[in-house]
Amino acid sequence: MSNNILTQNDIQHVDYKDIDLLKQFVNPHGRIVGRTKSGLTAKQQRAVEAAIKRARFMGLLPFIQK
Amino acid sequence: MVDDVAVEISETGAAENAVLRIYEVGYHIIPDTKEEELEKVVGAMRSEIEKAGGNFIAEGAPSMTKLSYPISLREGEKSVEYDRGYFGWIKFEAPVAAARTIESFLKQNRSFFRFIVFQTVREDTRAKMKAPQLREVKRTDVIKQVPRRIEETSAPVSEEDLEKALQDITTE
Repeated sequence: MSNNILTQNDIQHVDYKDIDLLKQFVNPHGRIVGRTKSGLTAKQQRAVEAAIKRARFMGLLPFIQK
Repeated sequence: MVDDVAVEISETGAAENAVLRIYEVGYHIIPDTKEEELEKVVGAMRSEIEKAGGNFIAEGAPSMTKLSYPISLREGEKSVEYDRGYFGWIKFEAPVAAARTIESFLKQNRSFFRFIVFQTVREDTRAKMKAPQLREVKRTDVIKQVPRRIEETSAPVSEEDLEKALQDITTE
């Protein structure tokens, strides 16, 4: 069974304000996890990446976490 | 020749204005702002969007949010660091030129210390995550509570009885 969170929950759009959702795609250091680990499709991965970067810019997610 | 170019520019400008796009503005208002004044600050931005020909689709009222990292801002000679702010957002439909107008308005307004303007879709983009379902466990028989063993209360044992009992055990 795939571990694609977006497909499982039927999520069509990824919003930068959904911090709890985006936190599932970053590792404890705050780095974006790759496709092998996230299990997303290429299109979804791009959407998640864009959303995380917007959230980081707005101070909702950290750039790095010690 | 020059006229041609001028006409072309005005035509593209008109075409740009005719195309309506969906934009979203996310902003942080400085935490020193009083709660009563928030509406005034947001109202100024809202009127600016309306002036630029925008129609509102959705809005999130500003609420105090803790930031993941301190954002420093230069105010005159000294820099100020903010570790929280009133975060809000507005989604609207507007001509292309309006996005630039709003961006420059936000840049000039000192109340907004961080903002983002980007193109999005009309639909609600917030994820509706299902609550994590609990794993079903096979039902077993009801566990009956075993009555507590009543502790035997006995009188203090004499030394002799104890010796005798010990001997009985060892001889067995």
